[in-house]
Amino acid sequence: MTDPTPSSVRAFKGPISEPKNPKKLPCLSQMSDGILMEEGEGNRETEVAPALLAVHPFDKFVAVSVGAELRIFDLQGGYSVLVKDDSAGLHKDSIRAIRFSAHGKLLVSAGDDKLVKIWTTDSWCCTTTVYSEKRVSAVAITNDSHFVCFADKFGVVWVVDLTDYSENQALVNKKAVPILAHYCSIITTLEFSPDGRFLISADRDSKIRVTVFPKKPLVGAHEIQRFCLGHTEFVSCLAFVSIPDCHEALLVSGSGDSTVRLWDVTDGTLLDTCEVGTEVLAVDLI
Amino acid sequence: MLENEANPNFSKSTGLPRKRFYRARAHSNPLSDSHFPVPLSPSDFDLFLHYPHFFESSGQLSISSRKIEFADIGCGFGGLLISLSTLFPETLMIGMELRDKVTEYVKERILALRVSNPGQYQNVSVVRTNSMKYIPNYFGKEQLSKMFFLFPDPHFKEKNHRRRVISPYLLDEYAYVLRVGGIIYTITDVEELGEWMKTCLEGHPMFEAITEEELEKDPVVKLLSSATEEGQKVARNGGQTFQAVYRRIAPSL
Repeated sequence: MTDPTPSSVRAFKGPISEPKNPKKLPCLSQMSDGILMEEGEGNRETEVAPALLAVHPFDKFVAVSVGAELRIFDLQGGYSVLVKDDSAGLHKDSIRAIRFSAHGKLLVSAGDDKLVKIWTTDSWCCTTTVYSEKRVSAVAITNDSHFVCFADKFGVVWVVDLTDYSENQALVNKKAVPILAHYCSIITTLEFSPDGRFLISADRDSKIRVTVFPKKPLVGAHEIQRFCLGHTEFVSCLAFVSIPDCHEALLVSGSGDSTVRLWDVTDGTLLDTCEVGTEVLAVDLI
Repeated sequence: MLENEANPNFSKSTGLPRKRFYRARAHSNPLSDSHFPVPLSPSDFDLFLHYPHFFESSGQLSISSRKIEFADIGCGFGGLLISLSTLFPETLMIGMELRDKVTEYVKERILALRVSNPGQYQNVSVVRTNSMKYIPNYFGKEQLSKMFFLFPDPHFKEKNHRRRVISPYLLDEYAYVLRVGGIIYTITDVEELGEWMKTCLEGHPMFEAITEEELEKDPVVKLLSSATEEGQKVARNGGQTFQAVYRRIAPSL
């Protein structure tokens, strides 16, 4: 069984939205034991969306979003690829989340233009565009690629059903269905547990919610498994880590409270806290 | 409590706080980021502070298995809690209220009642908080056996419907803190809101309606319309009330 390494690394400039408490941005960049911390930018006047990076699960491509542009580089061929969407057009505003599916056949991108675009990695055409009512702040894809979830700035998480998806199919208009919400809080990150049982959503009010992801998510995800409570500031990033001799993956979270924490999602226990000394913006496993 | 006798905000005869000195607007914005302390997690909530009679000290909390079982969301001036306190003297219960002055009033009322009725009212307390944002910070999974939503703010305008305390999304959180078999009680004098709350509960997979028979037998149901100041006002004006009482059930697989 392949180790389900998260395929995306996210770089945030700072808190997604904290107009009342502007935080000092970190100027250091450190690499240590698999935790990557990103550089912040000192210039706040031009509020450019941070560049995002995603790596194909089998290292075939690297995807980078810069503002509204989505740039793909073919690692095997050694050249850049242009993405195409002749019907709905490309993203018109800052992209806030990009993600490859576990099988590498899809890339999902979404952002401030309220569009969630699903690209096929074979031809880099956009096969589906989903319209969101609000700006999108996070996306996640189930391991079997049957469902795409995205969170909007009102704290609502939506799901799109891709079970009848086929690369050869003509563009299909997919509708998203709301499945859960964090009350009046911006969801900063979404993550599925590697076994597919849970959807984890974290918000700017320091909450991490572990929800049971149902077999039929279109009727809603109402059963909350646990809350992982302990962070004192916005939660910026989540990642799952598999430990040898432990059959369940553990959750790692990073926060503006300068800690990285380790959780057991089934009962919400905080297993460990690591003081990092500066705001944590991104976590990933190498 | 000698200071209460001299305190002009308290009645000299009963020793209880007088409502007129704790005036507050009926509405409070649930969306604003108010600055009141919120426990980091349910285990950080200081039960000794609220129920000193039941806990020897803050250090005893981990040994005692006693937990809060009833929560009155938007408890207002505390009418329901006061009635429930003597009906269930061994059960810990708490009121949650967003408005500062009103919370103060309830706090003073409870403290005064504890003095004038030794041994009683030790099981009830109040906390100022925004229950729409912070319920999981106060209560653990399946902890409560009863939750009360009496005469909540109707938020009439369609664009404000998302501020309503009963909504399909928030019911997920209320189902999380309520144990299986636990009961959620709602009542309002606004018919549209009554319909809304009933529809939300009916449509949620983790709640089922309680039969009329069971409602008749539950002594708490009668208190919904009679025990609170709001309920008494509605009765005085000859208004109609609409209640929806549902039981928390396990989700079907």
